[in-house]
Amino acid sequence: MDWAVIPANLPFLMKGLWVSFQLAIFVIVISFPLACVIAVGRVSSRWWIRFPSATFVNAMRSNPLILIVFWFFFLVPLIIGRPVGDFASVMIAFVVFFSAYFTEIIRSGIQSVDRNQIQAGLSTGLTYFQVMRMVVLPQAMRNMMPALVTECIIIFQGTTIAYVVGLREFLNSTFLVTERTIRPVELYLFAALVYFVVCFAGSCLARYLEKKKVRTQ
Amino acid sequence: MTEPLVKITDLSLWYEKYRALDCINTEFDSGKCIVICGPSGSGKSSLLRCVNRLEDFQEGDVFFDGQSLRECSDIAALRSNIGMVFQHFELYPHMSVLDNITLAPRWAKKKPKEAAETHAMALLDRVGIANQAKKYPAELSGGQQQRAAIARALALEPKLMLFDEPTSALDPEMIVEVLRVMRDLAQDGMTMLVVTHEMAFAREVSDEIIFMDEGRIVERKATPDFFTNPHSRRAQDFLDRILMKI
Amino acid sequence: MEINYDFDWSMLLEDPNRQWIIEGLLTTVYLSLLAWLIALTVGIVIGAIRMTPSRTLRIIGTVYVEFFRNIPFLVQLFIWFFVFPLLLPHDWMLTWNRLPHVPFLTALIGLSLFTAARVAEHIRSGISSIPKGQFDAARSSGLTQIQMYRHVIIPYAFRVMIPTIASEFLTIFKNSALTLTVGVAEITSAAKSIEAWSFRGVEAYTVASVTYMTTTASVVLFMTWLEHRLRIPGLIAKK
Repeated sequence: MDWAVIPANLPFLMKGLWVSFQLAIFVIVISFPLACVIAVGRVSSRWWIRFPSATFVNAMRSNPLILIVFWFFFLVPLIIGRPVGDFASVMIAFVVFFSAYFTEIIRSGIQSVDRNQIQAGLSTGLTYFQVMRMVVLPQAMRNMMPALVTECIIIFQGTTIAYVVGLREFLNSTFLVTERTIRPVELYLFAALVYFVVCFAGSCLARYLEKKKVRTQ
Repeated sequence: MTEPLVKITDLSLWYEKYRALDCINTEFDSGKCIVICGPSGSGKSSLLRCVNRLEDFQEGDVFFDGQSLRECSDIAALRSNIGMVFQHFELYPHMSVLDNITLAPRWAKKKPKEAAETHAMALLDRVGIANQAKKYPAELSGGQQQRAAIARALALEPKLMLFDEPTSALDPEMIVEVLRVMRDLAQDGMTMLVVTHEMAFAREVSDEIIFMDEGRIVERKATPDFFTNPHSRRAQDFLDRILMKI
Repeated sequence: MEINYDFDWSMLLEDPNRQWIIEGLLTTVYLSLLAWLIALTVGIVIGAIRMTPSRTLRIIGTVYVEFFRNIPFLVQLFIWFFVFPLLLPHDWMLTWNRLPHVPFLTALIGLSLFTAARVAEHIRSGISSIPKGQFDAARSSGLTQIQMYRHVIIPYAFRVMIPTIASEFLTIFKNSALTLTVGVAEITSAAKSIEAWSFRGVEAYTVASVTYMTTTASVVLFMTWLEHRLRIPGLIAKK
């Protein structure tokens, strides 16, 4: 073993890690609001809103992310009519894919709030909008926080899939260094450790939020 | 004077820092029905749960039939001689009522299936729900479920029955049917320890009443005495509140 | 915006495309089923280990779960493929490299052990969803620890866990697509090959998507039926 290979290539690897973070943050920031809109459609009483949102969510959730990435890689240039670059295609695929998962979390968050809470709010003279904003949404938010944090970790882990289209995120950077140095053992174990530290911290946060949620119920 | 069935010496129980039971000393004789009452958080249920070591008490000891619970190496065998009835019934939802009743006799007491089922049917008949034997617990009313749970406890042919607020989770019209079963049981000479707020039941059925507060036994008296002449101020207040409902 | 694309579905039936698709389908199904069985077995063992009174065993179980859950699956796969053989003793490594279907075996190990951690976690949450009173009732009636688990806790937990066990099969089924990165010729990989050869992406990826979606739909239907069959009469399923 020769661990010197890691400090020697650290700047390059860290640049890859930074790309992974950027990718994850971008995906979270765009797909969450999108998912909020789809989730409202998902619980709508109008079938022509509910049905397409449900179809979208189910289609995304029953396909592997890598296949969605391939689809968009092929389709996006075709639809737009010109090449758009790997980065853009992957981003779009990720956003579309993960917004479906966020949608389900938000939906069950909304549905986890007791219907009587709305009645109780209305009975005190609040308007429906006020009840939603001040009674239902804060509770729904608290209920879905652990799942949202877990999903963010999954998104961060999912960014590794950008490797297959050659995007230079952390895993791909590691791969490139192994190609050059022929030190796969040290490098992949290092990559695993870095991913573990980040994701484990996230899991601990999710668990803490879960405990807090149970305590306040 | 014969040995008491249960003897409790210097029993203390902590949940983390919270002292649930504070140096309890008492004993219960065979064939008596004893009601334990007191405000919530007074340690009634904890005391009951120590008698079959569902709570691992830290200090003191409980003797059941002369056997120390602290030193008991086969607690399962000891527990199979004590029946217990819970506030929320705790029937096993994935088994029929009959299977619920025969489970412990068959596995803990190694009774043959046939004999266990015959006995179970007799017990179900005794609590008045023999026609529900093949049903699943969730198909029964609360009162029927609790009676099935009593039959399940009786199937152990126990020397002692523990009741942990058996009617607290029931609607008023179902409380009566459960209390009737318990009264019959007491009249047949079963040794019973009952944690309950049903003071009418206590007055009519029990031989003695123990009043607890803050993890201690404040008062223990023969039933008629307790109602007419409660000794302590706290027991008086409690009685006033629970009987007058103010 | 104008989409210029001529569909040609018949090309899927021509060789080598047809061959790739058939092989891809079979590989995906074999790999997923085998990995699922191993994952269930290992997951149950790890789940059980985490409930033993032994502190050491519990820690081992927890460390396993945390490691496999917090490292991305693709990284795990690379470690099994690139790192694991190098850590073996020399002659073992030679034997390993000489085995047929090394990518498949790698994928199988990777998928199974990754999913086992998730199964173990589901088992734990399944058991902890059982009301505490059920444990009290079983213990108070004189059942031993083993009898309690065998007759009361496990049959109860099993019903609670059916949906998650099914969803783990679907997780494996979808994750198996990632094994194309280590050279397993499963269905996504087949679709990718067809696309690369003929530039018929829509047709090729449709085959793969239809595979995943019909499988998902069938498993969901089957599980709904099974849940209904095993439903405890009178008990309303908690959502």
